[in-house]
Amino acid sequence: MGVRVFRLNPAREKEGKFRTYHVEVQEGARVLHVLHAIHAEDPTLSYRYCCGTGQCGSCAVRVDGEPKLACMTEARDGMTVEPLNLPVRKDLVVEMEPALAQIAPLLPKGQAECPAQEQIAAIKPLRDCIECLACVSVCPAMEVAEFAGPTAMRQGMRLALDPRDSGGRIPEAIRAGLFTCTTCQACWKVCPKDIQIPGKAIEKLRALANREGLTLPRHLEIVQLVKETGRTVPRTETSFLEQVDEVIEPAGPVKATVGFFVGCMYNLRLPKTALDAIEVLKRNGVRVIIPHEQVCCGSPLIRTGQLEYLPTLQGKNIECFTSRGIDTVMTMCAGCGSTLKNDYRTPFTVKDVNEILTEIGIEPPARLPLTVTYHDPCHLLRGQGIRDQPRALIRRVADLKEMAVVKCCGAGGGTRSGAPDVSRALALKRDEEIEKTGADCVISSCPFCEFHIGTFSETPVKNVTTLLLEGYRKKDEGKA
Amino acid sequence: MRADVAHEAHVLVIGSGGAGVRAALEAVRYGDVLLVSKSVAGKGGCTPMAEGGYNAALREADSCVGHLEDTLKGGAYLNDLELVQVLVNEAPDRLQDLVRWGAVFDVTETCQVAQRSFGGQRFPRTCYAGDRTGHEMMMTLLEQLRASDVEVLQEVTVTDLLTREGAVVGAAVLDRTGRLEVIQADSTILATGGGSRVYDVSTNSATGTGDGYSLGYGAGAELIDMEMVQFHPTGAVYPYDARGRLVTEAVRGEGGILRNAKGERFMSRYDPERMELSTRDVVARAIAREIQEGRGTPRGGVYLDVTHLPAKQIEERLPVMLEQFLAFGVDIRKEPMEVSPTAHHFMGGLRITPSCQTTVRCLFACGEVAGGVHGANRLGGNSLAETQVFGKRAGEAAGRAPSRGQHPEQRQLDLIERRLEGLLSGMVNPVSVERKVQLAMWKGAGVFRTGPELTQTLTEVEKLGRKKLHAASKLNLAECMTVHHLCTTAMLVLKSALLRPESRGAHVRTDLTQAHDAANSPYGHTYLSQHRSGIEMKGGKP
Repeated sequence: MGVRVFRLNPAREKEGKFRTYHVEVQEGARVLHVLHAIHAEDPTLSYRYCCGTGQCGSCAVRVDGEPKLACMTEARDGMTVEPLNLPVRKDLVVEMEPALAQIAPLLPKGQAECPAQEQIAAIKPLRDCIECLACVSVCPAMEVAEFAGPTAMRQGMRLALDPRDSGGRIPEAIRAGLFTCTTCQACWKVCPKDIQIPGKAIEKLRALANREGLTLPRHLEIVQLVKETGRTVPRTETSFLEQVDEVIEPAGPVKATVGFFVGCMYNLRLPKTALDAIEVLKRNGVRVIIPHEQVCCGSPLIRTGQLEYLPTLQGKNIECFTSRGIDTVMTMCAGCGSTLKNDYRTPFTVKDVNEILTEIGIEPPARLPLTVTYHDPCHLLRGQGIRDQPRALIRRVADLKEMAVVKCCGAGGGTRSGAPDVSRALALKRDEEIEKTGADCVISSCPFCEFHIGTFSETPVKNVTTLLLEGYRKKDEGKA
Repeated sequence: MRADVAHEAHVLVIGSGGAGVRAALEAVRYGDVLLVSKSVAGKGGCTPMAEGGYNAALREADSCVGHLEDTLKGGAYLNDLELVQVLVNEAPDRLQDLVRWGAVFDVTETCQVAQRSFGGQRFPRTCYAGDRTGHEMMMTLLEQLRASDVEVLQEVTVTDLLTREGAVVGAAVLDRTGRLEVIQADSTILATGGGSRVYDVSTNSATGTGDGYSLGYGAGAELIDMEMVQFHPTGAVYPYDARGRLVTEAVRGEGGILRNAKGERFMSRYDPERMELSTRDVVARAIAREIQEGRGTPRGGVYLDVTHLPAKQIEERLPVMLEQFLAFGVDIRKEPMEVSPTAHHFMGGLRITPSCQTTVRCLFACGEVAGGVHGANRLGGNSLAETQVFGKRAGEAAGRAPSRGQHPEQRQLDLIERRLEGLLSGMVNPVSVERKVQLAMWKGAGVFRTGPELTQTLTEVEKLGRKKLHAASKLNLAECMTVHHLCTTAMLVLKSALLRPESRGAHVRTDLTQAHDAANSPYGHTYLSQHRSGIEMKGGKP
């Protein structure tokens, strides 16, 4: 088996380099066993391991770029093994102690009584952590903010749920950067124990903060607005819903019928983008039904821990589609889509516009002489597992040049309003990556990303459907 | 290489598993404590890997006497009675300490710590947190450690205990850069865990190399019953490179069934009454016998099956097993696991008093490195309890011991330095020595043993132990010292095994026939130090 392994001895060199090794291992061997085999031949290779069974969290490394436990990940010929994205002590060994020191201890009240079964059940999912620091190594907020990090937040929530703890966990979490998390979910997706830190810790801590009157003033304003207008964005121009009929028939034969959940951002900030999408759908045989009484999906309330008004919104939205007998609801906002799929119990199927267009198979557009890059919206990639479809659609129109890293742009989780410095810093970092590609244009598929990157990047930002529409327009020009 | 005293402490604790951290938390009530950990603290050792549970008599219907009797019977009456009394009497209180510190055990509807059945016990006495009980305890202890004033040295390897006039006065350690440092302490606690990694197939973590036995032996301490190595009946057989990893006894506790390749529920031939929940020594031998006699699976194991249990029960009670096997391509809700015996636990170790005092002054021991609690076979769930009960006792005794402020002897430090320098110019790759020892031990000192094979293996291991190991750089010195400890530990197991002329508990001599059963054995502990060795006869010390 051939493997590339990162080597760096900071005592001797500044820059690390990759070395390729060829070793023999048995069938089913894990990455760790490959490292053992290398070490037997080259004893200078440093790496950490202990239990070998995924229980101690010593051996997390990046395998082909993804944080993994070396002991549990099957080795692959041609793989690349690198240290986690944390300060490297030597080769694959990284500094762990500063992050581990952020994990707060329980402060016993004194009595030794067990919590009740339901309390144990709530705590348990947060208790599986093996402190491998995979989450810490991918957290974007930690790079730009004073943020104690995902597993520290997990522990904060675990303690907040425990009746034996006497600590003031909510103010502590806020001091440790609770409101700097963009809920990008990178931490959850790399967690070898599948701990859903954003949903089960961050948002829950924010909900507890809300009960203690510690919600950020800017976030309180959002609730006020949604209660008054049904929207979390103020109306500054003619909205999308004001410009469209309830039913939009396609140009040709009907291939599919979908209900369209528009979302606040496309309705009030980027109505033109939503209109572009409608043109693309019309052209591809999709009948679009747009209930005009739909309201905000509630995502901003969930992300900021303000749950009181949420059921009202959920009820209105579900009712507006079910009353029309719609069985497939389309979203084009990544945040709305993730919320409808993960935070609602809907009697209908929810699909993102990229899924719909991929499934029906689109009319080929003309190619544009453009090189574009694609920014993965967190709530599309991780919230909905949609990675390949938008890329395939883009490649129908333009050349796609990938960025070196997939990372949050800083628009989500209420940080744009609640922690604007963090949000801005992340956008600027994202812009650096965009610049490196030299792309003419950055494509995304989320109004928050499009709006936010557009604020901080010189490179134009477009939606996938807008790019497709431009391809169709060029095609039509050619015919004319 | 020049070593000055780099750290001073009232109590030095060596080891960051359940026993070491518990000892440190207790000792720090009496003075400065320095804890040295070979791994990142809390990640090494076997506590975080312990899946099954913690034995304590908690209910009206149970009793400490019942716990005591089960432990003695399971231990083939080789246990040190006083130590067992301490274990069973104090296990409930130490469990309460953990609960007070926030341990998240599973609970009953009435908020009592839940308990389940484990092998060799008359009452469901094993407290648990799913099948990650040890991890839960370790996280709880680590939190308290981080909140305490205990100073922690991470990723250091102890080369030697330092002595002056026959008393331990600290330790020589290699820090993570390979630099030699001297720690001076009034009292030293060994809590280094076990040594099952002397075997080719083992459940132990990387740190289970027997360092503490070797360190204690080197300082003149006496060890008992080192031949008593528990082979856990159920270790995974696939993938080969991860062979031996523990399949928790909780799988059988929950109702798992053992079958051979012919589909026979073979435990009915070995222990028809207790079946799969017989003691570990019996089940391990049964499985080894089935495989030896050609009724094993193609991969060399037997089947362990839970597919008859509701999927929900497997998901809730055995989540770690489910996740691990899924990662290796087996869905245990739908197909059986393949298992075979794996070296798991050393029942023997340093001889201690109930206050964890070893036979060397100022040296204490607790947890797996100490001997006597479990006799000839340990019951599942007793070692997590042991870590807490004896961890606290060691911490307290060491903490209460007087301050002495004695310096190590320069002569010993000079010797250590010379030996380390020698490693830098050695010839033999330590990895190859380690592999050869492990293979030799598996072959010659495994589940079934004979006198001639033990003797031959001892010769082989002693020869390997004399090899001039090579450290490729200062960073590799620790690895060489670990292999040195591993060789010493293997030698101690073999020598002790030759001292016991009977089959008892985990120690089975197939070349001997004997008339007595365990309860009527004329023999007591085997003992071994630099100064003497032998076997005690019942009814009086030698």
